[in-house]
Amino acid sequence: MDGRQLRDDDLEPVGFDWSKLRKASPPELLIRFVFGGGIALVAAISGSVFGPRFGGLFLAFPAVLPATLTLIEKKEGTTKAWADASGGVLGAIGLAAFAFTALQLLRANPVAALALALLAWLLVSGGLYFLSRKTGLFLWQDKLLTKSR
Amino acid sequence: MSTALIGLKALLGGFAVVGFSLIGQAGHPKRFAGLFSAAPSVALASLAMAVIAKGASATLPYAQGMLIGSAGMVAYGLVSLVLINRLHALVGSILAWLAWFAVAGGLYLVVGG
Repeated sequence: MDGRQLRDDDLEPVGFDWSKLRKASPPELLIRFVFGGGIALVAAISGSVFGPRFGGLFLAFPAVLPATLTLIEKKEGTTKAWADASGGVLGAIGLAAFAFTALQLLRANPVAALALALLAWLLVSGGLYFLSRKTGLFLWQDKLLTKSR
Repeated sequence: MSTALIGLKALLGGFAVVGFSLIGQAGHPKRFAGLFSAAPSVALASLAMAVIAKGASATLPYAQGMLIGSAGMVAYGLVSLVLINRLHALVGSILAWLAWFAVAGGLYLVVGG
């Protein structure tokens, strides 16, 4: 883990570089498709056998993360993989917001419930990211990691 | 649940994961991109299919289970940060599944079963 590399990355402006998608190789996408489809299959079958509440657990299972993080580590190093995983923690808190919103609104209007649940995920995970960024929490963490080396 | 519905859930889940992972791949910095690693891709596809096939009321227990699972996901994320730092990405991120099973499974047994 390289705190300085992490800090340099954290100082980058937030955005999307769509040209990076040209580097997305079909085998990598296939791996993600298989793991994503696989966990949806596990959720559906276990929901059918053990009840939908049990199956629902797997809708928030990190099935694809090991593949994603390993690919990032291979291409860009462990520090970048760690940074991706650290964003994943904020995304996971957003997942709880997604489930909570869906739970509250599904009965009233299922389509709106899922759309608003997605919005809740975006707002909570994005909000936590920007809050941590603006308050310097990430840079403070990077400094601690640099010192600990 | 019919085989066709299960197959459709798996197919849509796979496409949703690829879609969100492409957004994450384009995103920067890496911590921001990481948000999309924990996007509700499979959940969105599966819940939408469940609503269409069975209606909103029958879908509620799936969302309840997901809420419990997402506590496991947060635990997974925190533990994976420690393990990736010590054991690298593949081993660390797979071993961290134990944290998901402990927290999601434990909570399910206490409140969800």
